[in-house]
Amino acid sequence: MKQILYDKAAPAANSILSVISAFVVGGVILLFIGKNPFTLYGQLFLQGMGSSLGVIETIIKMAPLLMVSAGLLVAFSGGLWNLGVEGQFLMGAILTGWLAPKLVPFLSLPVYFITLGGIGFAGGMIWALLPAILKARYNLNEIIITLMMNYVALNLVTWMVKGPINDLSVVPAQTKLIPMTHRMPMIPFTRIHLGLIIGLIVIIGVYWIIRRTTMGYQIRVLFANKRAAIHTGMNVKRIIVWSLLTSGGFSGLAGAIDVLAIKGLFQGGWNPMYGITCIPLVFLARLNGWAVIPLSYFFSFLVVGGEFVARDQGVPVFFVHVLEGLMLLSFAAGEHIGKGRVT
Amino acid sequence: MNNQPLIRLKAITKRFKGVIANDAVDFDLYPGEVHTLLGENGAGKSTLMHILSGLVQPDSGSIEIRGESVNIRSPYDSLRHGIGMVYQHFALVPNLTVIENIILGFEEGLILNRKRTESVLKQIFKEFELSLPLDEKISNLSVGERQRVEIAKALFHRSDVLILDEPTSVLTPIESEELFNTVFSMRRMGKAVVFITHKLKETIGISDRISILKLGKKVAEMSGEDLRQVGEEEGYRRIFDVMFDNTQLPKDTTTIKRSSEEMPILELDQVVCLGNFGEMRLKKLSLKLNKGEIFGIAGVDGNGQKELAEILAGQRKVVSGRLILDGNDITHEEGAGTRTDLGISYITDDRMQEGCALSMSVAENSILRLFKRPPFSRRKIMNKANINRHAEALIREFDIKVSGPDVDVGTLSGGNIQKILLARELSLHPKVLVCNKPTQGLDAKTTRYVKDRLQQESVRGTAVLFISSDLDELLSCSDRIGVLYDGELLDIVNRCDANRENIGKLMLGIRQ
Repeated sequence: MKQILYDKAAPAANSILSVISAFVVGGVILLFIGKNPFTLYGQLFLQGMGSSLGVIETIIKMAPLLMVSAGLLVAFSGGLWNLGVEGQFLMGAILTGWLAPKLVPFLSLPVYFITLGGIGFAGGMIWALLPAILKARYNLNEIIITLMMNYVALNLVTWMVKGPINDLSVVPAQTKLIPMTHRMPMIPFTRIHLGLIIGLIVIIGVYWIIRRTTMGYQIRVLFANKRAAIHTGMNVKRIIVWSLLTSGGFSGLAGAIDVLAIKGLFQGGWNPMYGITCIPLVFLARLNGWAVIPLSYFFSFLVVGGEFVARDQGVPVFFVHVLEGLMLLSFAAGEHIGKGRVT
Repeated sequence: MNNQPLIRLKAITKRFKGVIANDAVDFDLYPGEVHTLLGENGAGKSTLMHILSGLVQPDSGSIEIRGESVNIRSPYDSLRHGIGMVYQHFALVPNLTVIENIILGFEEGLILNRKRTESVLKQIFKEFELSLPLDEKISNLSVGERQRVEIAKALFHRSDVLILDEPTSVLTPIESEELFNTVFSMRRMGKAVVFITHKLKETIGISDRISILKLGKKVAEMSGEDLRQVGEEEGYRRIFDVMFDNTQLPKDTTTIKRSSEEMPILELDQVVCLGNFGEMRLKKLSLKLNKGEIFGIAGVDGNGQKELAEILAGQRKVVSGRLILDGNDITHEEGAGTRTDLGISYITDDRMQEGCALSMSVAENSILRLFKRPPFSRRKIMNKANINRHAEALIREFDIKVSGPDVDVGTLSGGNIQKILLARELSLHPKVLVCNKPTQGLDAKTTRYVKDRLQQESVRGTAVLFISSDLDELLSCSDRIGVLYDGELLDIVNRCDANRENIGKLMLGIRQ
């Protein structure tokens, strides 16, 4: 019995320890740049978790994190390291920002939302298509290609928003504003938009697909042993393409929803960098969909709280990304040490 | 011959997990000598050479080099003592050129003195009758040329001892001749060569001395000169007598001879296929497999066994020729999944790396080929309860030692993993079962079990293609034995006519 408890608790323990040690190392870094870590962390928690504004903002920001994490979950479960979620997110976002105002006069609200969700999803898929084909057909390293595609996407959307799809009636480079009547509705009696519900459904749905369907099973076999997958007659190329496209699609969907719910348009230079947040998140969750939910809350809190603190304390916003990176590092270290001990 | 041996191994003993690989083996090597190591798979040849090249440390025994007692703790130590090893799988960098590979790790100083290196190499090439394009990338070279690069590398580093591990298994006959010329010039120059091989003809042809290992023990040492003098036939016989106890096999009375009428189920017609490097591995191989028979494929490893299994399993393409199953041409119905559906099952020889997913559970591994079929999944949704029930039934039926279907396969022993593979393939009720070395590395009890299951399967009417490099095993359970040598089926021998000697000769490429 004790053994079973230990087996179940040990993975979570490593994730929690990684978070703690990231805060400790981050504190040391803060000391070096002349900031008091205790006041800073104190403020972080106070404003991020202690104020209603902080809590609500945190919950709102969970929506894209959940969707991007769901996409990563599909790819990572198959051992496909899709690091291109930022580019896929931007493609979903810009297509939505561009097409939404055009669709407003023609579609009823439900159809309008479903269509734009589909467009966002397709945008992400398009951006994952090239790496997927190159990986499946020529076994080229998807890490590098997806990562590089981010920079292409960033420049492409900047060019588009400054040129072909620029709203010329305003000065900043941006697309036409989506009318308030056509923004993402709120969850009744709150100011939290429906994206949170969609995000929760998506992450749980994806996790169910991975564990319970034949496609998910094949993805997991691909991760465990590609040669065994081929040996037992699985269509490995199809699995690779399918999971990378799906992975990109959910990032694109996150982009669409952020545009529809928060921004109302696509703005030049906008890049929330959810990839950097979600990659450590999914690892800390150990590819477990249920664990993604509380971790999304925590990472969202870090981002929101980090913004507050940055303003007050004069610490760069990027400090939160430093913390996230440190978590991933300590997690990897913990896994390594754990492996040595257990076996 | 010099009186001082270059290398002397004394009473080397090495155990792996209780299995004895080398049992008090003495081995010495004089300058200007070609010393051949013979023995069946698992006789301990590789272990002995790994000890010499520093990959493995002996449990006891001593190593002397030029009369001094030494410890060889790593391959680097071994190189420093002037021992060069040419492996079956070459250790070259494909993206670098020949000359870059040769100097790799041995540059003197930071800057490559190309002129000097080149002139040294030219000298070596001349002395040892080698020829190589210096500026060609390794990836553009043939297997034979790559081997020459390895040899040139060892000579460039002034190795006095060269270990060649089955060097001719990857070579064409002409390339082999060229290699022997190089070996002869090494002998002339006072270098010593250890030659590991399975082929008797070349053993007698080039050896000064021959050591024969059997079950980890050195059982004989012969002079190559003597064998050449008594003639080829008598030479073979002398080696055979030592390598295989030339006793008659006990007549197996337990198995009932199945119906004598032939009902072919699978036919290979002039099949040609290529290996991983584009070399021809099966050369117009034709074979008929009958319902309910166990057809043994004998042969030394690397003569096309793996490729034969893979073309049947649909994992490798047939270049020309036809495969006919039950009267239907299935040559172009490729892919492992398609062949499974057609009724061909395949137990791979690489059970850990290919046969299963070690980090997944027994249940998940048991349905690797079946997951798309009901009751394991319906409308693409898996049914965990049915999968577990299936796995539990297999665990009981095949007596797999595991606490439950949720346990990861990686935690099981090799024998139990093999049982999972066997269970998985047999649960498909195949028409044809291809198994490649299904008892390799298993203990006696599990070996017995696997063989019994294959027998039962054949009695049920399944045609079993039983590939093995273990001759005894083939003789004990095959109805017919085909001998695969260099991609060709040299002969097919009926069980009653087969014995160690005639099959053994065929395995070494000698036709009657």
